[in-house]
Amino acid sequence: MPRLLQKLFHGQFAGLALVIVALGAGVALYAGPLRDPFTGAERNRLLNAHTLLDTATNASFFAIMAVGATMVIVSGGIDLSVGATYALAGVGGALVFRALEAQAWPPAAAVLCGLLLGAGIGFACGLLNGLLIVGLNIHPFIVTLGTMWLYRGIASVVSESSTILVGQALTEATKSSLGLSGSLRPVPLLAMLLVTLLGALYLNKTVWGRHVYAVGGNAEAARFAGLRIGRVKLAVYALSGLTAGLAAFLGSSYYGGASSADGDGYELFVIASAVVGGVSLSGGRGGVFGALLGAVLIALLRQSIVILNYRSQYEWIIVGAAIIIAAYLDQLKLRLSARRLAEHAVAARVSGAAKETESGT
Amino acid sequence: MAEPAVRFEGLVKRFPGALAVDGVSFEVAAGTVHALCGENGAGKSTLGKILAGILAPDAGTLRLFGRPVRFGSPRDALAAGVGMVHQELAFCENLSVAENLCLEDLPRRGPFVSRARMRERARERLAAIGAELDLDRPLGELSVGRQQLVQIAAAVGSGARVIVFDEPSSSLSRHETERLLELLRALRARGVTSLYVSHRMDEIFELCDAVTVLRDGRHVETRPVAGLGEAELVRLMIGRPLDAYVPAHLRAEPGAERLRVENFSSPGRFEDACFSLRAGEVLGLAGLVGAGRTELAQALFGLDSYARGRVQVDGREAAIGDPAQAMRLGLGLAPEDRKRHGLVLSMSAGANVTLPTLRQDAAWGWVRAGRERERVRGFFERLRVRAPGPEFPAAGLSGGNQQKLVLAKWLAAACGVLILDEPTRGVDVGAKAEIHALIDGLAREGRAVLLISSELPELVKLCTRILVMRAGRLVADVPRAEATQETLLRHMAGVA
Repeated sequence: MPRLLQKLFHGQFAGLALVIVALGAGVALYAGPLRDPFTGAERNRLLNAHTLLDTATNASFFAIMAVGATMVIVSGGIDLSVGATYALAGVGGALVFRALEAQAWPPAAAVLCGLLLGAGIGFACGLLNGLLIVGLNIHPFIVTLGTMWLYRGIASVVSESSTILVGQALTEATKSSLGLSGSLRPVPLLAMLLVTLLGALYLNKTVWGRHVYAVGGNAEAARFAGLRIGRVKLAVYALSGLTAGLAAFLGSSYYGGASSADGDGYELFVIASAVVGGVSLSGGRGGVFGALLGAVLIALLRQSIVILNYRSQYEWIIVGAAIIIAAYLDQLKLRLSARRLAEHAVAARVSGAAKETESGT
Repeated sequence: MAEPAVRFEGLVKRFPGALAVDGVSFEVAAGTVHALCGENGAGKSTLGKILAGILAPDAGTLRLFGRPVRFGSPRDALAAGVGMVHQELAFCENLSVAENLCLEDLPRRGPFVSRARMRERARERLAAIGAELDLDRPLGELSVGRQQLVQIAAAVGSGARVIVFDEPSSSLSRHETERLLELLRALRARGVTSLYVSHRMDEIFELCDAVTVLRDGRHVETRPVAGLGEAELVRLMIGRPLDAYVPAHLRAEPGAERLRVENFSSPGRFEDACFSLRAGEVLGLAGLVGAGRTELAQALFGLDSYARGRVQVDGREAAIGDPAQAMRLGLGLAPEDRKRHGLVLSMSAGANVTLPTLRQDAAWGWVRAGRERERVRGFFERLRVRAPGPEFPAAGLSGGNQQKLVLAKWLAAACGVLILDEPTRGVDVGAKAEIHALIDGLAREGRAVLLISSELPELVKLCTRILVMRAGRLVADVPRAEATQETLLRHMAGVA
C-alpha cells in the first residue's frame, strides 16, 4: 500500500495533486465560514462533508467516462461521442426498464437490470464506433463526431424529447447513504473510485493494456511486433462506450430520470479531464489516475466559482484557461525530460567509448 | 587561394540517443565539388543539414566565405546562398512544379498569386540548369530523378552559391545518375560549390575534387581526390584494415532447411525471388538502396498484402498474412528503421523487449511483473544492453543499445528464422562488434539468419553465402569463398 501511495503522489501526479490542494486551501481560506441553518454550528464553506462530497459527486459522472476516454486517447484516438452515448444509454436504458416493468421486480434485480441495460447500450455504442473506425479506416475524430449527433438524435427520437423517469428502486440504490449520516450520498463517488481502479489495473497490469500503450506510442512498431491493432482499437472504443453507459446508469438513477439532453458537452469535460491529468493527445502517455485528478480539478474549479459567488458564466473562461495551461505545462515537462534523456544518452556513449579504449589498451 | 566557401569549426550536434557530429572541423574550397563520405551513421547527412539550416548545431562555428553564420531555418540558409537537395525529397508533392519552384517567395499581385509571373520564373529557373518540365504537373507525378531536377533548379534559381547534395543518386537509375553528375560539373564550371554526401566510390572518384571522411561523428581526414586510392578511402571510412575474422558458425555444417521461397513477387517491389535458408546459416542479402531488399523482408513477415508466391517454413507450406501469423511460424523481423518500426520510444526499454511475447509472462492476461522483469534482465545481460534498468525509457538509450532492444525482442520470441534488416545501422563501433558476435552465436545455436546489410565488409565477414538483389530481382548467389566487396559491388551495380 505505501508503494501504491508513493506511485500516486510521487513524480507524475505530484504537481497536479499539489495544484488541487493549493486551490482547495486558497478557496477554503477565502470563502470563510457558513452558519448551518439547522444546527447553528459554523463550518467552512468548502471544507465540509456535504460540499466536498457534492463536488466529488458532480465530478464522478464524467470522471467515470474519463477512464474510458483515457484508454482511447492513450491508444492514439479520440472519442467525441461519449456525451451522446451517455444520453442514449440513459434514455434507452430507462425506456427498456419501463417496458420490462422492472420497477416491480425485487430491488436487487431491478438495479442489476438497470445497470446491465445502461452498460450494455453504452458498450454497443462504443463497439459501433470501434467497428466504424477499424472497419472503414476513417479517422476517429470524424467517426465519433458523426456518431455524437447520431446517438443523440436517436435518444431524442425514442424519448420524444421528454424526460423518462426511472424506477424508485434505482434512485434509492444510487442515493443510498451506506450507513453514513443521512444526507451524505457516496455511491457515485465510490463507483468512480472503483472504475478508476479497474481502469488502472487494465491499463497497467494486463497484456491488453500494454498493447494499448504500444499502439498509441507507435502503431507501426506495434504492427511489426505482431500486435493486432484493429482489436486493440476496437477494445478501447467499446470500453469508452461502456464507461459512458455506466455513468449514464448512475446519473439517470441518481437524478431520477433521463432525457436526450443529458450529458450535453460531457465529451469536452471528459477529454479535458484526461488532458489536464497529463494524458497526451498524441497517444502512448498518461494514465487513469491522472485523468481522475484532472476531473477532480475541473469539478473543484466549477465548485469554487459557486462558493466564491462569482457569476457562473465565468466557469467556461476558467475551465478553458485551465486546459491550455495544463497542456502547456505538460509539454514543458516532456521537453525537459527529452533533454535529460538526450544528455543521458550522450553520457552513456562517452563512458562506453571510454570503456572501450580502456579495454583496448 | 581565396576564402574557402564553407568552413566548419568544431561543430557538435547531439540527438536524443546519439552524438551525431562530434567536433568536426574542415574547409570546402570555393567552386569545387567536395565529397563527404563515411559509413552509415557517420554523421554525413547531419552535417549537410546543419549547413543547409535544417538543424542547428549545439556548438561550433560555421563560416560561409569567411563570415560566421548562424542559420535558424532553411530559409535563412537560402538567403545566405546555401541550398540543399535532399535524400528524401522534401518538396510538396501535391503542388505543381511551378509552385514548388517559387514556393519560398510566390510572385504576387495584391493578395493573389500571379500565375503568369510564377510560371515565367519557374521556366527561367529550369532553363538555368538546362531542364524542361511540364510546369503544371503535380510534383508527385514526376519520376524521382525529375523531382530532383526541380530541387536543384529551386536552389540554383534562388541564387545558391553552395549546394548540399544528400545522397542524391541513391534512388536514381544509372542514366539519371549520369545526367546528375553532368549537371554537377556544369554547376562547378559556373563557380557553384557543391558538398556531395555519398558513399558511392565510383561517383566520388569520377566527380569530386576533394573528399572528407567522417567516422562515428568525427572528422577523419580531408584530402584531394587526385592521388587517393579506393582501398585507401575504404580504410579511412572503416578505420582499420579488414581483418580475417572467421565466424564460428562456419565450422558446423548447415542443418535442415528452415525457409524456402519460390516465385515470390510483389508488383513494383520485387519479382520472382527464389532462395532457401538452412538452420545454422547466415544468408546475406546485398543490394543498393531501392533494390527491394527491405520490401522482400517485410513481405516475408506478412507486411505486404500484394505479395504472391510460395513460401515454405520448416518444410510446410505457409500463407503469411500478417506479422502475428509469421511469428507463430517462427519468423522474426528486426526492421531497418528502428525509430519507426522497431521501437515504441515512449515505452520503457523492458516493455519494448517483451512486447511481442508478453503473453509468456501473463496468466489470463494478467502480467506477472516479476517474471517479466526476470526475463528482460536475462536479455539485457546476454546482449550487454547498457541501460540504468528495464524501467528506463527506450528513448533515452544510445543508438546501439536501442538496436540491441530490437534484437532482444526477437530473441525473446525464440524464432527459428530471423530476418535482420540493417542491424548495425547508426550503431557505434563497440556495439557493432557485439552485434556481429551475437549473429554468429545465433547461427551456431542452429537458427537461420537472413542478414540484410548495406555494409559490404559486414556481409563478407559474417555470411555463409550472399544473395545480391538488383532492381527487385535476385541476381546472384555468391558463396563465401568468392565473396569480396568487389564481386558484390559488380553484381549490385550490374556491371559484368
